[in-house]
Amino acid sequence: MTTQTSHDDMARALRLAMLQANPDLSRFDPLSRIISHDDFSRGHCGWSQLVGNYEDDLDSMLPGYAQHSSAMLSTLAHWDAGSHGGMDSSYALKVATRPRIGAQNVVIKRHTFRKRGPIRFEAYVTFKPEATELRLSEADVRSIGFLFDLQGGDQDGATHRVMPHLRYLNAENGALAQKWQFKSETTPFKPVGHTNSTATHYHLAPEGWRDLPGASQRLCYNEIPTKVNWTYLRFDFDLETMQATGFRCNDRVFDVGGFEPISIPAMKNLWCMLNFCMFVETDTAKRAFLYVDSICISGDF
Amino acid sequence: MLAENITAIVARNERWTGAAASEPYEAGWAREAVVFIRALKQPGGKQPVVRVEISPDGMRWLPEGAHVPMPTTEDGMAILRVSHFGNWLRVAADFAPDAHSTVLVTIHLKG
Repeated sequence: MTTQTSHDDMARALRLAMLQANPDLSRFDPLSRIISHDDFSRGHCGWSQLVGNYEDDLDSMLPGYAQHSSAMLSTLAHWDAGSHGGMDSSYALKVATRPRIGAQNVVIKRHTFRKRGPIRFEAYVTFKPEATELRLSEADVRSIGFLFDLQGGDQDGATHRVMPHLRYLNAENGALAQKWQFKSETTPFKPVGHTNSTATHYHLAPEGWRDLPGASQRLCYNEIPTKVNWTYLRFDFDLETMQATGFRCNDRVFDVGGFEPISIPAMKNLWCMLNFCMFVETDTAKRAFLYVDSICISGDF
Repeated sequence: MLAENITAIVARNERWTGAAASEPYEAGWAREAVVFIRALKQPGGKQPVVRVEISPDGMRWLPEGAHVPMPTTEDGMAILRVSHFGNWLRVAADFAPDAHSTVLVTIHLKG
């Protein structure tokens, strides 16, 4: 064993020991650099409302985006049991839809990257409908999910903006589905305004979702609308190849060999973009809530 | 540690008619809230009072007491200040059948 190898092994062992002994990070498996770690006991941590593009007039915003509203810090307060709280603080980030069938809401965090290499997105999340009825309501939330919005550097030959999307389709038209899906197409681009400087597309349109291999997974939904359990998500993506490299939800590891992200021509103002979104969609005329306890975004660089 | 301070957009370019209200917003961490209501377009008809409402559960709402007339001109603004609101917060207004306003409602929280 060379001195350098020994040094590298020691550094890895020390890093792992420090991670595993840190109560805030021990439940994550981050890559070598932590880009951001958000537990929402320190505020919104840069997660904000995804606002649609517009020019001159807000009426030019696509309806899919116009429905979005700001996320909030929630103690998961329920009428029957009080505040549920997060995993180790009182707070979680809450993303809420409007009470209209098919309504969606999206929260976003915007970074740029330093190196085109592996990145990892980890989160602890849960979801519920608004507890307006004294019933289980397990088919009221249509989906929850996440997406990345990525584009290479201005000098590295990047030709595409790449948007991996993954959702848990909980239910559709009142029937439980309980499976993971990806999508590889968006709507056609539409110019916004008259100056040819802004365009828009609706990548969360309901069409085009496809099942992951072995897509089915039953989660811990619990027994009434006001009891929740936190679920672990982990998605790996390589910024060099712009391909998914792994997906895990709790105890299940999924095959992403056939995963295809949305890929559209590169845009003129988005170089090195590294955006992360989480979304929720309701299947009924009842608000659906996505709660996010914590998120760790890491990379190898 | 700096105090938390968040601006939330709870209604953007929404045309309010009838019994209108902003979406429920949880802000139990905040000690104070300032709410601005801006008319993005020329309001139509007689403009009602807009009021702060609070709730024990985000589903059942009561007036908190603060209220102010809705703006009567395009880009006109109304402001409401509130503290001791518990967790849930929204603003609401009741429009006559021929009245409407297209609003931007922003909540500014500090705690």
